Amino acid sequence: MRAPRIGGFIALALAASLAGAQKLPWQANDAESGQKQFVKYLYPEQVSIAANQDSVVELHFAVNPGLHINSHTPHEKSFIPTQLIVAELPGLSVRQVDFPAGADVALPAFPDEKLSVYTGEFVLRAHIKVQPGEHLIQAQLRYQACDAQACYPPRRAPVAVDVIAK
Amino acid sequence: MKRNHVVALAVIIALGLIAWAGIANYRKRKEEQAKAKQPVITLTQAASDPSAAAAGDLPPFKNPLANKQAPAFTLRDTHGRKVSLADYKGKAVVLDFWATWCAPCKIEIPWLEKLRDQYASQGLEVLGISEDDLDLDDQKALLKEKKDITDSATRLGINYPVLFDDAKVADPYGGVDALPTTFYVDRNGKVIAATIGLVDRDEIEANIKKALGSGEQAQKGQS
Repeated sequence: MRAPRIGGFIALALAASLAGAQKLPWQANDAESGQKQFVKYLYPEQVSIAANQDSVVELHFAVNPGLHINSHTPHEKSFIPTQLIVAELPGLSVRQVDFPAGADVALPAFPDEKLSVYTGEFVLRAHIKVQPGEHLIQAQLRYQACDAQACYPPRRAPVAVDVIAK
Repeated sequence: MKRNHVVALAVIIALGLIAWAGIANYRKRKEEQAKAKQPVITLTQAASDPSAAAAGDLPPFKNPLANKQAPAFTLRDTHGRKVSLADYKGKAVVLDFWATWCAPCKIEIPWLEKLRDQYASQGLEVLGISEDDLDLDDQKALLKEKKDITDSATRLGINYPVLFDDAKVADPYGGVDALPTTFYVDRNGKVIAATIGLVDRDEIEANIKKALGSGEQAQKGQS
């Protein structure tokens, strides 16, 4: 089993998004987020952690039965990796995100070509540091899903976690 | 002395056999451990009925253009040439919507290449329409995206025109919710069949024959 990969999340500046009066990345009218989701964010909705200390929040997701999504490190360059897009907020920083290693799967018609994928439930570990107070992590999981017969265009599943830091 | 030599030889052979068995056993266990650590799952075909809902739980596929004229389009191919559907009037055309990130598409493409060779003399053409994202607002990114598609088409050995869908051609074809999605257009420009997802090679060939034949009959009827 390969070691889990670290990093690979995208931080977006909230101020820049607001200044441009653009839609925030997790808002549902985006072409990638306005469609039926194949991945669901499960939990936690709220966490309590120590302020000003490095903490880890485990984000649990589930891929719909019968589907798979590419892992964070697909074997083929042209395949779209799963990424976490996080909005930057004052007083809260996401330092890195650990992605699990993908499972190797093969399509019946191409048994020798292995795909690196997530199926069922999987967990990302977000390393965060926050100032005292209540903060809302708002993010999106960008993924590209397939089943054994077809692939679906990339989509973004919304993620929201209320972080209470004391 | 001779007896001692025989005993010593027997002991050496016995030790050699024990060592060989130990090494063989160690190698076997290592192989089994490696297999257990990297299980390869084979994804099973969800359904043989092409109209059935895929695992994506989308509504059952219904050809949105059945027996209708194929919507016209003009797009650029990977060589920069303008390609219009109207250029193929009188020919049967397979329109294959695909993307570089679509693994099932890459299974179907070699079949399309061979079928195109097989039926080209009868008037068949295949057009691959790439549904990869194109950043039309960023020329530098757009160039890279087009190069990636071109490189992918080259690696796959695609012998038919590959078009960049920078004009949302997929929309009038029903939106193309999943890939591959394939439309079969007869010699009169009418859509006579469509499939979504990976289908059997025989089904593709049957649809090609239908596209070649139905338009031919219709043309003969008109003349």
